[in-house]
Amino acid sequence: MKTISMTGCERVNRMFARQDQDRIPRCDSFWLETIARWQREGLKGDYHDVMLRLGSDFQSLCWSWPCPFPGKREILSADSETETVRDAWGGVARHWKARSGTPEHISFGCDSREAWETIYRPAMLAVPLQLDITAALQAQREGRALGRWTHLTGVEGFEALRRLIGDETCLVAMIEDPEWVRDIVKVHTDIVLRSFEALLAGGVKADGLWIYGDMAYNHSTMCSPAMYRDLVWPAHKRMADWAHARGQRVIYHTDGHVREVLALYIAAGFECLQPIEAKAGMDVREFAPLFGDQLAMFGNIDVMKMGTNDLGIIEEEIRTKFAAGMATRGYAYHSDHSVPPQVSWATYQAIIGFVERYGTY
Amino acid sequence: MPLLTELTAAVAAGKRTDTVRLTQELLAAGLAPQTIVETGLVPGMAIVGDKFKRNEIFVPEMLVAARAMKEALKILEPLLALAGIKPKYTALIGTVQGDLHDIGKNLISMMWRGANFAVVDLGTNVSPEKYLAAAVEHKANIVGLSALLTTTMPAMKETVRILKAANLPDMKIMIGGAPITQAFADEIGADGYAADAGTAVDIARKLVGAAA
Repeated sequence: MKTISMTGCERVNRMFARQDQDRIPRCDSFWLETIARWQREGLKGDYHDVMLRLGSDFQSLCWSWPCPFPGKREILSADSETETVRDAWGGVARHWKARSGTPEHISFGCDSREAWETIYRPAMLAVPLQLDITAALQAQREGRALGRWTHLTGVEGFEALRRLIGDETCLVAMIEDPEWVRDIVKVHTDIVLRSFEALLAGGVKADGLWIYGDMAYNHSTMCSPAMYRDLVWPAHKRMADWAHARGQRVIYHTDGHVREVLALYIAAGFECLQPIEAKAGMDVREFAPLFGDQLAMFGNIDVMKMGTNDLGIIEEEIRTKFAAGMATRGYAYHSDHSVPPQVSWATYQAIIGFVERYGTY
Repeated sequence: MPLLTELTAAVAAGKRTDTVRLTQELLAAGLAPQTIVETGLVPGMAIVGDKFKRNEIFVPEMLVAARAMKEALKILEPLLALAGIKPKYTALIGTVQGDLHDIGKNLISMMWRGANFAVVDLGTNVSPEKYLAAAVEHKANIVGLSALLTTTMPAMKETVRILKAANLPDMKIMIGGAPITQAFADEIGADGYAADAGTAVDIARKLVGAAA
Protein backbone atom coordinates (compact mmCIF):
# COMPACT_ATOMS: atom_id res chain seq x y z
CA MET A 1 0.00 0.00 0.00
CA LYS A 2 1.32 3.47 -0.85
CA THR A 3 -0.10 6.42 1.03
CA ILE A 4 0.70 10.08 1.26
CA SER A 5 3.73 10.93 3.36
CA MET A 6 2.96 11.38 7.05
CA THR A 7 4.67 13.30 9.80
CA GLY A 8 6.43 11.31 12.47
CA CYS A 9 3.76 12.33 14.94
CA GLU A 10 0.95 11.05 12.71
CA ARG A 11 2.88 7.87 11.98
CA VAL A 12 3.50 7.02 15.64
CA ASN A 13 -0.05 7.85 16.69
CA ARG A 14 -1.37 5.64 13.90
CA MET A 15 0.96 2.87 14.99
CA PHE A 16 -0.56 3.03 18.47
CA ALA A 17 -4.04 2.96 16.92
CA ARG A 18 -3.04 0.09 14.59
CA GLN A 19 -4.03 2.20 11.61
CA ASP A 20 -2.30 2.26 8.24
CA GLN A 21 0.92 4.21 8.05
CA ASP A 22 3.11 5.20 5.10
CA ARG A 23 6.04 3.48 6.79
CA ILE A 24 6.98 2.20 10.22
CA PRO A 25 8.19 4.77 12.75
CA ARG A 26 11.95 4.80 13.32
CA CYS A 27 14.42 5.59 16.06
CA ASP A 28 17.77 4.21 17.20
CA SER A 29 20.51 4.49 19.83
CA PHE A 30 24.27 4.41 19.39
CA TRP A 31 27.39 4.07 21.49
CA LEU A 32 29.61 7.16 21.60
CA GLU A 33 32.35 5.07 20.01
CA THR A 34 30.03 4.11 17.18
CA ILE A 35 29.47 7.71 16.15
CA ALA A 36 33.22 8.37 16.50
CA ARG A 37 33.99 5.41 14.23
CA TRP A 38 31.45 6.55 11.67
CA GLN A 39 32.92 10.05 11.67
CA ARG A 40 36.30 8.50 10.84
CA GLU A 41 34.60 6.53 8.09
CA GLY A 42 32.99 9.51 6.43
CA LEU A 43 29.93 10.48 8.47
CA LYS A 44 29.44 14.21 8.15
CA GLY A 45 27.96 15.41 11.43
CA ASP A 46 27.07 13.71 14.68
CA TYR A 47 24.36 11.68 16.42
CA HIS A 48 21.65 14.15 15.41
CA ASP A 49 22.63 13.91 11.77
CA VAL A 50 22.43 10.11 11.90
CA MET A 51 18.95 10.39 13.40
CA LEU A 52 17.89 12.77 10.63
CA ARG A 53 19.33 10.44 8.02
CA LEU A 54 17.50 7.50 9.58
CA GLY A 55 14.32 9.57 9.64
CA SER A 56 13.75 9.38 13.38
CA ASP A 57 10.16 10.08 14.37
CA PHE A 58 10.69 10.62 18.11
CA GLN A 59 11.68 13.68 20.12
CA SER A 60 12.39 13.54 23.83
CA LEU A 61 11.54 16.66 25.78
CA CYS A 62 13.18 15.85 29.09
CA TRP A 63 14.91 13.17 31.13
CA SER A 64 13.57 12.68 34.65
CA TRP A 65 15.67 10.66 37.07
CA PRO A 66 15.38 12.38 40.45
CA CYS A 67 18.41 12.12 42.71
CA PRO A 68 19.01 13.25 46.29
CA PHE A 69 22.06 15.43 45.61
CA PRO A 70 21.72 17.06 42.15
CA GLY A 71 24.98 18.21 40.64
CA LYS A 72 27.20 16.33 43.07
CA ARG A 73 30.16 14.69 41.35
CA GLU A 74 33.23 14.20 43.50
CA ILE A 75 36.20 12.45 41.92
CA LEU A 76 37.72 10.27 44.62
CA SER A 77 40.52 8.76 42.55
CA ALA A 78 41.55 8.24 38.96
CA ASP A 79 43.95 6.32 36.79
CA SER A 80 44.77 6.59 33.11
CA GLU A 81 41.54 4.93 32.02
CA THR A 82 38.99 5.24 34.82
CA GLU A 83 37.87 7.52 37.58
CA THR A 84 36.10 6.68 40.80
CA VAL A 85 33.32 9.11 41.55
CA ARG A 86 30.86 9.79 44.35
CA ASP A 87 27.74 10.83 42.49
CA ALA A 88 24.40 12.55 42.87
CA TRP A 89 22.84 9.40 44.35
CA GLY A 90 25.47 9.23 47.09
CA GLY A 91 27.08 6.11 45.64
CA VAL A 92 30.64 5.44 44.57
CA ALA A 93 31.30 3.94 41.16
CA ARG A 94 34.22 3.52 38.81
CA HIS A 95 33.59 4.83 35.30
CA TRP A 96 35.54 4.84 32.08
CA LYS A 97 36.90 8.28 31.36
CA ALA A 98 36.52 8.20 27.60
CA ARG A 99 34.42 5.27 26.54
CA SER A 100 30.98 3.75 26.92
CA GLY A 101 30.22 0.95 29.31
CA THR A 102 28.47 0.05 32.51
CA PRO A 103 30.29 1.35 35.61
CA GLU A 104 31.53 -0.77 38.48
CA HIS A 105 29.44 0.05 41.53
CA ILE A 106 31.70 0.11 44.55
CA SER A 107 29.33 1.28 47.26
CA PHE A 108 25.95 2.86 47.76
CA GLY A 109 25.43 5.67 50.23
CA CYS A 110 21.85 4.64 50.80
CA ASP A 111 22.64 1.17 52.07
CA SER A 112 20.06 0.75 54.82
CA ARG A 113 16.49 1.66 55.64
CA GLU A 114 17.82 3.97 58.32
CA ALA A 115 19.98 5.84 55.79
CA TRP A 116 16.95 6.13 53.51
CA GLU A 117 14.68 7.47 56.21
CA THR A 118 17.12 9.86 57.84
CA ILE A 119 19.13 11.18 54.88
CA TYR A 120 18.06 10.12 51.43
CA ARG A 121 14.27 10.31 51.59
CA PRO A 122 14.29 13.82 53.12
CA ALA A 123 16.96 14.90 50.61
CA MET A 124 14.95 13.66 47.64
CA LEU A 125 11.79 15.32 48.87
CA ALA A 126 13.58 18.59 49.59
CA VAL A 127 15.12 18.94 46.14
CA PRO A 128 13.28 21.42 43.90
CA LEU A 129 12.22 20.62 40.35
CA GLN A 130 15.02 18.76 38.59
CA LEU A 131 13.74 19.38 35.05
CA ASP A 132 14.46 22.36 32.83
CA ILE A 133 11.20 23.78 31.48
CA THR A 134 12.96 26.12 29.06
CA ALA A 135 14.97 23.27 27.58
CA ALA A 136 11.85 21.12 27.29
CA LEU A 137 10.01 23.89 25.45
CA GLN A 138 12.97 24.31 23.09
CA ALA A 139 13.05 20.55 22.41
CA GLN A 140 9.31 20.68 21.82
CA ARG A 141 9.71 23.44 19.21
CA GLU A 142 12.47 21.47 17.49
CA GLY A 143 10.43 18.29 17.55
CA ARG A 144 7.32 19.98 16.21
CA ALA A 145 9.33 21.61 13.42
CA LEU A 146 10.48 18.16 12.36
CA GLY A 147 6.98 16.73 12.72
CA ARG A 148 8.16 14.32 15.39
CA TRP A 149 6.19 12.53 18.09
CA THR A 150 7.18 14.23 21.34
CA HIS A 151 7.50 12.47 24.63
CA LEU A 152 8.34 12.99 28.25
CA THR A 153 11.03 10.57 29.36
CA GLY A 154 11.41 9.29 32.88
CA VAL A 155 12.91 6.47 34.89
CA GLU A 156 10.60 4.14 36.79
CA GLY A 157 10.82 2.95 40.38
CA PHE A 158 12.71 -0.31 40.02
CA GLU A 159 15.58 1.22 38.09
CA ALA A 160 15.65 4.12 40.54
CA LEU A 161 15.72 1.68 43.44
CA ARG A 162 18.69 -0.23 42.01
CA ARG A 163 20.55 3.01 41.32
CA LEU A 164 19.98 4.31 44.82
CA ILE A 165 20.59 1.26 47.01
CA GLY A 166 22.34 -1.19 44.68
CA ASP A 167 21.28 -4.52 43.25
CA GLU A 168 22.11 -6.71 46.19
CA THR A 169 20.47 -4.56 48.86
CA CYS A 170 17.51 -3.92 46.61
CA LEU A 171 16.86 -7.55 45.71
CA VAL A 172 17.30 -8.78 49.27
CA ALA A 173 15.04 -6.02 50.55
CA MET A 174 12.35 -7.17 48.15
CA ILE A 175 12.12 -10.26 50.34
CA GLU A 176 13.17 -9.02 53.75
CA ASP A 177 11.80 -5.47 53.84
CA PRO A 178 9.20 -5.01 51.09
CA GLU A 179 7.72 -1.92 52.78
CA TRP A 180 11.03 -0.14 52.35
CA VAL A 181 11.05 -1.05 48.66
CA ARG A 182 7.48 0.17 48.23
CA ASP A 183 8.35 3.45 49.90
CA ILE A 184 11.37 4.16 47.70
CA VAL A 185 9.42 3.28 44.56
CA LYS A 186 6.52 5.48 45.68
CA VAL A 187 8.67 8.50 46.60
CA HIS A 188 10.53 8.25 43.30
CA THR A 189 7.29 7.98 41.32
CA ASP A 190 5.75 10.91 43.22
CA ILE A 191 8.70 13.13 42.31
CA VAL A 192 8.78 12.06 38.66
CA LEU A 193 5.07 12.73 38.19
CA ARG A 194 5.28 16.01 40.08
CA SER A 195 8.13 17.05 37.79
CA PHE A 196 6.11 16.16 34.70
CA GLU A 197 3.15 18.14 36.07
CA ALA A 198 5.42 21.16 36.43
CA LEU A 199 6.50 20.81 32.80
CA LEU A 200 2.92 20.65 31.59
CA ALA A 201 2.02 23.65 33.77
CA GLY A 202 4.91 25.45 32.10
CA GLY A 203 3.44 24.95 28.65
CA VAL A 204 5.02 21.68 27.56
CA LYS A 205 2.75 19.41 25.52
CA ALA A 206 3.77 15.83 24.92
CA ASP A 207 2.29 13.10 22.76
CA GLY A 208 3.50 10.38 25.03
CA LEU A 209 5.47 9.12 27.99
CA TRP A 210 8.53 6.93 27.50
CA ILE A 211 9.33 5.11 30.73
CA TYR A 212 12.82 3.67 31.26
CA GLY A 213 13.46 0.74 33.54
CA ASP A 214 15.68 -2.29 33.07
CA MET A 215 14.13 -5.04 35.12
CA ALA A 216 15.56 -8.13 33.48
CA TYR A 217 18.72 -9.81 32.29
CA ASN A 218 19.38 -12.39 29.63
CA HIS A 219 17.31 -15.21 31.03
CA SER A 220 14.57 -13.71 33.15
CA THR A 221 13.31 -10.80 35.14
CA MET A 222 15.44 -9.86 38.16
CA CYS A 223 12.59 -10.81 40.48
CA SER A 224 9.59 -13.07 40.08
CA PRO A 225 6.51 -11.84 38.23
CA ALA A 226 4.60 -12.08 41.54
CA MET A 227 7.13 -9.90 43.32
CA TYR A 228 7.09 -7.42 40.45
CA ARG A 229 3.29 -7.34 40.60
CA ASP A 230 3.35 -6.72 44.33
CA LEU A 231 6.14 -4.19 44.72
CA VAL A 232 6.74 -2.33 41.45
CA TRP A 233 3.77 -2.82 39.15
CA PRO A 234 1.47 -0.45 41.08
CA ALA A 235 3.91 2.39 40.37
CA HIS A 236 4.10 1.36 36.72
CA LYS A 237 0.33 1.47 36.48
CA ARG A 238 0.27 4.81 38.23
CA MET A 239 2.66 6.30 35.67
CA ALA A 240 0.67 4.86 32.78
CA ASP A 241 -2.63 6.06 34.29
CA TRP A 242 -1.14 9.52 34.73
CA ALA A 243 -0.12 9.63 31.06
CA HIS A 244 -3.43 8.27 29.79
CA ALA A 245 -5.36 10.86 31.82
CA ARG A 246 -3.43 13.49 29.87
CA GLY A 247 -4.03 11.92 26.48
CA GLN A 248 -0.56 10.44 26.21
CA ARG A 249 0.53 7.05 24.92
CA VAL A 250 3.00 4.97 26.92
CA ILE A 251 6.23 3.28 25.80
CA TYR A 252 8.16 1.10 28.22
CA HIS A 253 11.87 0.45 27.84
CA THR A 254 13.51 -2.59 29.34
CA ASP A 255 16.41 -4.77 28.33
CA GLY A 256 16.46 -8.46 29.04
CA HIS A 257 14.05 -11.36 28.96
CA VAL A 258 10.60 -10.15 29.99
CA ARG A 259 8.40 -12.72 28.26
CA GLU A 260 6.79 -13.77 31.54
CA VAL A 261 5.65 -10.26 32.48
CA LEU A 262 4.28 -9.03 29.15
CA ALA A 263 0.72 -9.59 30.32
CA LEU A 264 1.43 -7.52 33.43
CA TYR A 265 2.87 -4.74 31.27
CA ILE A 266 -0.31 -4.69 29.24
CA ALA A 267 -2.39 -4.66 32.42
CA ALA A 268 -0.32 -1.72 33.72
CA GLY A 269 -1.24 0.25 30.61
CA PHE A 270 2.04 0.01 28.72
CA GLU A 271 1.18 0.21 25.03
CA CYS A 272 4.57 -0.31 23.43
CA LEU A 273 7.66 -2.33 24.41
CA GLN A 274 11.17 -1.22 23.48
CA PRO A 275 13.89 -2.34 22.60
CA ILE A 276 13.07 -6.09 22.85
CA GLU A 277 16.54 -7.55 23.33
CA ALA A 278 17.19 -10.37 20.87
CA LYS A 279 20.15 -11.89 22.72
CA ALA A 280 17.86 -12.31 25.72
CA GLY A 281 15.64 -14.58 23.66
CA MET A 282 13.05 -11.93 22.87
CA ASP A 283 11.67 -12.22 19.34
CA VAL A 284 9.04 -10.06 17.70
CA ARG A 285 8.25 -12.95 15.37
CA GLU A 286 6.99 -14.86 18.39
CA PHE A 287 5.45 -11.98 20.32
CA ALA A 288 3.71 -9.94 17.62
CA PRO A 289 1.11 -12.61 16.84
CA LEU A 290 0.50 -13.20 20.56
CA PHE A 291 0.55 -9.69 21.99
CA GLY A 292 0.72 -7.36 18.99
CA ASP A 293 -2.89 -6.22 19.19
CA GLN A 294 -2.32 -4.88 22.72
CA LEU A 295 1.38 -4.13 22.84
CA ALA A 296 3.20 -2.43 19.97
CA MET A 297 6.69 -3.79 19.35
CA PHE A 298 9.54 -1.30 18.97
CA GLY A 299 12.94 -2.68 18.05
CA ASN A 300 14.37 -6.20 18.28
CA ILE A 301 16.85 -5.85 15.41
CA ASP A 302 19.80 -7.78 16.77
CA VAL A 303 22.94 -5.67 17.26
CA MET A 304 25.03 -8.84 17.37
CA LYS A 305 23.93 -9.52 13.80
CA MET A 306 24.55 -5.88 12.87
CA GLY A 307 28.05 -6.31 14.27
CA THR A 308 28.86 -9.08 11.80
CA ASN A 309 28.65 -6.45 9.02
CA ASP A 310 27.28 -9.29 6.89
CA LEU A 311 24.55 -7.60 4.88
CA GLY A 312 22.89 -10.90 4.02
CA ILE A 313 22.45 -11.79 7.71
CA ILE A 314 21.29 -8.28 8.58
CA GLU A 315 18.81 -8.06 5.71
CA GLU A 316 17.23 -11.36 6.71
CA GLU A 317 16.96 -10.19 10.32
CA ILE A 318 15.23 -6.98 9.27
CA ARG A 319 13.01 -8.52 6.61
CA THR A 320 11.61 -11.29 8.80
CA LYS A 321 11.13 -9.23 11.94
CA PHE A 322 9.58 -6.30 10.10
CA ALA A 323 7.17 -8.68 8.35
CA ALA A 324 6.01 -10.08 11.69
CA GLY A 325 5.72 -6.71 13.40
CA MET A 326 4.13 -4.88 10.51
CA ALA A 327 1.41 -7.49 10.17
CA THR A 328 -0.13 -5.97 13.30
CA ARG A 329 0.43 -2.34 12.17
CA GLY A 330 1.99 -1.95 15.61
CA TYR A 331 5.71 -1.99 14.94
CA ALA A 332 8.56 0.55 14.92
CA TYR A 333 12.24 0.20 14.04
CA HIS A 334 14.99 0.31 16.68
CA SER A 335 18.02 -1.86 17.26
CA ASP A 336 17.51 -4.33 20.10
CA HIS A 337 19.77 -2.26 22.38
CA SER A 338 22.17 0.37 20.99
CA VAL A 339 24.31 0.08 17.89
CA PRO A 340 27.86 -0.91 18.91
CA PRO A 341 31.11 0.27 17.33
CA GLN A 342 31.64 -3.03 15.53
CA VAL A 343 29.07 -1.78 13.02
CA SER A 344 30.68 0.15 10.17
CA TRP A 345 29.20 3.32 8.70
CA ALA A 346 28.79 1.52 5.39
CA THR A 347 26.82 -1.21 7.15
CA TYR A 348 24.60 1.25 8.98
CA GLN A 349 23.84 3.09 5.74
CA ALA A 350 22.83 -0.27 4.29
CA ILE A 351 20.66 -0.85 7.36
CA ILE A 352 18.89 2.45 6.73
CA GLY A 353 18.28 1.20 3.19
CA PHE A 354 16.81 -2.08 4.47
CA VAL A 355 14.64 -0.18 6.96
CA GLU A 356 13.32 1.91 4.07
CA ARG A 357 12.80 -1.08 1.78
CA TYR A 358 11.14 -3.47 4.20
CA GLY A 359 9.56 -0.91 6.52
CA THR A 360 7.30 0.74 3.95
CA TYR A 361 3.67 -0.32 3.98
CA MET B 1 20.12 -36.94 60.53
CA PRO B 2 16.99 -34.76 60.74
CA LEU B 3 18.89 -31.63 61.80
CA LEU B 4 21.03 -31.80 58.67
CA THR B 5 17.92 -32.11 56.54
CA GLU B 6 16.46 -29.13 58.35
CA LEU B 7 19.65 -27.19 57.74
CA THR B 8 19.51 -27.95 54.03
CA ALA B 9 15.91 -26.76 53.92
CA ALA B 10 16.72 -23.62 55.89
CA VAL B 11 19.51 -22.64 53.51
CA ALA B 12 17.37 -23.37 50.47
CA ALA B 13 14.62 -21.17 51.91
CA GLY B 14 17.07 -18.40 52.79
CA LYS B 15 16.21 -18.56 56.48
CA ARG B 16 19.28 -16.98 57.98
CA THR B 17 18.36 -17.23 61.65
CA ASP B 18 17.35 -20.89 61.35
CA THR B 19 20.50 -21.67 59.38
CA VAL B 20 22.73 -20.21 62.09
CA ARG B 21 20.79 -21.91 64.89
CA LEU B 22 20.86 -25.32 63.20
CA THR B 23 24.57 -24.98 62.43
CA GLN B 24 25.26 -24.30 66.10
CA GLU B 25 23.06 -27.20 67.19
CA LEU B 26 24.83 -29.58 64.81
CA LEU B 27 28.22 -28.48 66.12
CA ALA B 28 26.99 -28.93 69.68
CA ALA B 29 25.83 -32.41 68.74
CA GLY B 30 29.40 -33.20 67.72
CA LEU B 31 29.12 -33.15 63.98
CA ALA B 32 32.31 -32.24 62.10
CA PRO B 33 32.26 -28.80 60.47
CA GLN B 34 33.21 -30.33 57.12
CA THR B 35 30.22 -32.67 57.29
CA ILE B 36 27.92 -29.76 58.09
CA VAL B 37 29.21 -27.89 55.04
CA GLU B 38 29.16 -30.82 52.65
CA THR B 39 25.97 -32.54 53.69
CA GLY B 40 23.95 -29.66 55.11
CA LEU B 41 24.81 -26.35 53.47
CA VAL B 42 26.03 -27.32 50.00
CA PRO B 43 22.93 -29.44 49.21
CA GLY B 44 20.80 -26.45 50.24
CA MET B 45 22.53 -24.22 47.73
CA ALA B 46 22.27 -26.98 45.13
CA ILE B 47 18.49 -26.86 45.54
CA VAL B 48 18.66 -23.10 45.06
CA GLY B 49 20.70 -23.50 41.87
CA ASP B 50 18.30 -26.06 40.44
CA LYS B 51 15.23 -23.95 41.20
CA PHE B 52 16.94 -20.90 39.74
CA LYS B 53 17.68 -22.71 36.50
CA ARG B 54 14.01 -23.68 36.24
CA ASN B 55 12.85 -20.10 37.00
CA GLU B 56 11.08 -21.37 40.11
CA ILE B 57 13.03 -18.83 42.12
CA PHE B 58 14.76 -15.62 41.06
CA VAL B 59 17.79 -13.57 42.05
CA PRO B 60 16.33 -12.25 45.36
CA GLU B 61 15.71 -15.78 46.65
CA MET B 62 19.17 -16.84 45.53
CA LEU B 63 20.73 -13.92 47.36
CA VAL B 64 18.99 -14.56 50.67
CA ALA B 65 19.99 -18.23 50.49
CA ALA B 66 23.61 -17.28 49.82
CA ARG B 67 23.50 -14.86 52.74
CA ALA B 68 22.16 -17.59 55.01
CA MET B 69 24.99 -19.90 53.99
CA LYS B 70 27.52 -17.11 54.48
CA GLU B 71 26.36 -16.63 58.08
CA ALA B 72 26.79 -20.34 58.75
CA LEU B 73 30.24 -20.30 57.17
CA LYS B 74 31.27 -17.47 59.48
CA ILE B 75 30.84 -19.97 62.31
CA LEU B 76 32.34 -22.94 60.50
CA GLU B 77 35.30 -21.48 58.62
CA PRO B 78 37.47 -20.76 61.69
CA LEU B 79 36.92 -24.34 62.80
CA LEU B 80 37.75 -25.67 59.37
CA ALA B 81 40.89 -23.54 59.28
CA LEU B 82 41.96 -24.85 62.69
CA ALA B 83 41.62 -28.38 61.37
CA GLY B 84 43.55 -27.46 58.22
CA ILE B 85 40.59 -28.22 55.98
CA LYS B 86 40.18 -26.19 52.80
CA PRO B 87 37.73 -26.48 49.95
CA LYS B 88 38.93 -29.06 47.46
CA TYR B 89 38.67 -26.77 44.45
CA THR B 90 39.68 -23.17 43.81
CA ALA B 91 37.95 -20.91 41.31
CA LEU B 92 39.08 -17.49 40.10
CA ILE B 93 36.60 -15.07 38.69
CA GLY B 94 36.81 -11.63 37.10
CA THR B 95 35.37 -9.34 34.47
CA VAL B 96 37.64 -9.12 31.46
CA GLN B 97 39.78 -6.16 30.48
CA GLY B 98 37.78 -3.20 29.19
CA ASP B 99 34.66 -4.13 31.13
CA LEU B 100 33.62 -2.83 34.56
CA HIS B 101 30.36 -4.70 34.88
CA ASP B 102 30.22 -6.86 37.99
CA ILE B 103 26.69 -8.06 38.80
CA GLY B 104 26.92 -11.35 36.92
CA LYS B 105 30.38 -12.05 38.24
CA ASN B 106 29.24 -11.46 41.81
CA LEU B 107 26.28 -13.82 41.47
CA ILE B 108 28.44 -16.61 40.05
CA SER B 109 30.98 -16.02 42.78
CA MET B 110 28.27 -16.39 45.41
CA MET B 111 26.97 -19.62 43.89
CA TRP B 112 30.45 -21.14 43.60
CA ARG B 113 31.07 -20.38 47.26
CA GLY B 114 27.75 -22.06 47.94
CA ALA B 115 29.05 -25.15 46.14
CA ASN B 116 32.10 -25.15 48.43
CA PHE B 117 34.63 -23.81 45.97
CA ALA B 118 37.28 -21.46 47.34
CA VAL B 119 36.66 -18.36 45.27
CA VAL B 120 39.16 -15.64 44.46
CA ASP B 121 37.45 -12.56 43.03
CA LEU B 122 39.85 -10.61 40.82
CA GLY B 123 37.42 -7.74 40.30
CA THR B 124 36.70 -5.96 37.05
CA ASN B 125 38.78 -4.83 34.07
CA VAL B 126 41.18 -7.75 34.65
CA SER B 127 44.07 -8.06 32.22
CA PRO B 128 45.03 -11.45 30.76
CA GLU B 129 48.33 -11.22 32.60
CA LYS B 130 46.58 -10.72 35.92
CA TYR B 131 44.36 -13.75 35.29
CA LEU B 132 47.41 -15.84 34.49
CA ALA B 133 49.41 -14.69 37.51
CA ALA B 134 46.46 -15.40 39.81
CA ALA B 135 45.82 -18.79 38.23
CA VAL B 136 49.42 -19.77 38.92
CA GLU B 137 49.45 -18.30 42.43
CA HIS B 138 46.23 -19.96 43.55
CA LYS B 139 46.62 -23.16 41.53
CA ALA B 140 43.17 -22.49 40.17
CA ASN B 141 40.99 -25.34 39.02
CA ILE B 142 38.54 -22.98 37.36
CA VAL B 143 39.09 -19.56 35.84
CA GLY B 144 35.84 -17.71 35.18
CA LEU B 145 35.71 -14.83 32.69
CA SER B 146 32.74 -12.48 32.54
CA ALA B 147 31.90 -9.88 29.89
CA LEU B 148 28.88 -7.64 29.41
CA LEU B 149 29.95 -5.72 26.36
CA THR B 150 30.27 -7.02 22.83
CA THR B 151 33.37 -4.86 22.54
CA THR B 152 35.14 -6.78 25.29
CA MET B 153 34.58 -10.20 23.77
CA PRO B 154 37.98 -9.93 22.00
CA ALA B 155 39.59 -9.41 25.42
CA MET B 156 37.95 -12.64 26.51
CA LYS B 157 39.40 -14.41 23.50
CA GLU B 158 42.87 -13.02 24.23
CA THR B 159 42.66 -14.05 27.90
CA VAL B 160 41.68 -17.58 26.94
CA ARG B 161 44.57 -17.70 24.46
CA ILE B 162 47.11 -16.63 27.08
CA LEU B 163 45.76 -18.96 29.76
CA LYS B 164 45.72 -21.90 27.37
CA ALA B 165 49.24 -21.14 26.18
CA ALA B 166 50.46 -21.40 29.77
CA ASN B 167 49.29 -25.01 29.75
CA LEU B 168 48.58 -25.09 33.48
CA PRO B 169 47.66 -28.52 34.77
CA ASP B 170 44.10 -29.06 36.03
CA MET B 171 42.91 -25.58 35.05
CA LYS B 172 39.69 -25.16 33.12
CA ILE B 173 38.30 -21.93 31.70
CA MET B 174 34.66 -20.94 31.90
CA ILE B 175 33.07 -17.92 30.28
CA GLY B 176 29.73 -16.15 30.55
CA GLY B 177 27.93 -12.83 30.24
CA ALA B 178 25.16 -11.19 28.29
CA PRO B 179 26.60 -11.41 24.76
CA ILE B 180 28.30 -14.77 25.28
CA THR B 181 27.08 -18.01 23.72
CA GLN B 182 28.18 -21.63 23.61
CA ALA B 183 29.23 -21.04 20.00
CA PHE B 184 31.55 -18.24 21.09
CA ALA B 185 32.98 -20.43 23.87
CA ASP B 186 33.71 -23.13 21.31
CA GLU B 187 35.21 -20.62 18.91
CA ILE B 188 37.72 -19.23 21.41
CA GLY B 189 38.53 -22.55 23.04
CA ALA B 190 36.95 -22.04 26.46
CA ASP B 191 36.23 -25.27 28.31
CA GLY B 192 32.77 -24.25 29.46
CA TYR B 193 30.01 -21.69 29.03
CA ALA B 194 27.43 -20.90 31.68
CA ALA B 195 24.20 -19.17 30.75
CA ASP B 196 23.24 -18.40 34.34
CA ALA B 197 24.46 -18.66 37.94
CA GLY B 198 22.80 -22.02 38.54
CA THR B 199 24.32 -23.59 35.46
CA ALA B 200 27.70 -22.12 36.38
CA VAL B 201 27.84 -24.43 39.38
CA ASP B 202 26.97 -27.51 37.31
CA ILE B 203 29.54 -26.70 34.66
CA ALA B 204 32.27 -25.93 37.18
CA ARG B 205 31.63 -29.16 39.08
CA LYS B 206 31.66 -31.10 35.83
CA LEU B 207 34.89 -29.52 34.66
CA VAL B 208 36.73 -30.34 37.88
CA GLY B 209 35.31 -33.85 37.91
CA ALA B 210 33.11 -33.31 40.96
CA ALA B 211 29.76 -33.69 39.23
CA ALA B 212 27.42 -36.25 40.73
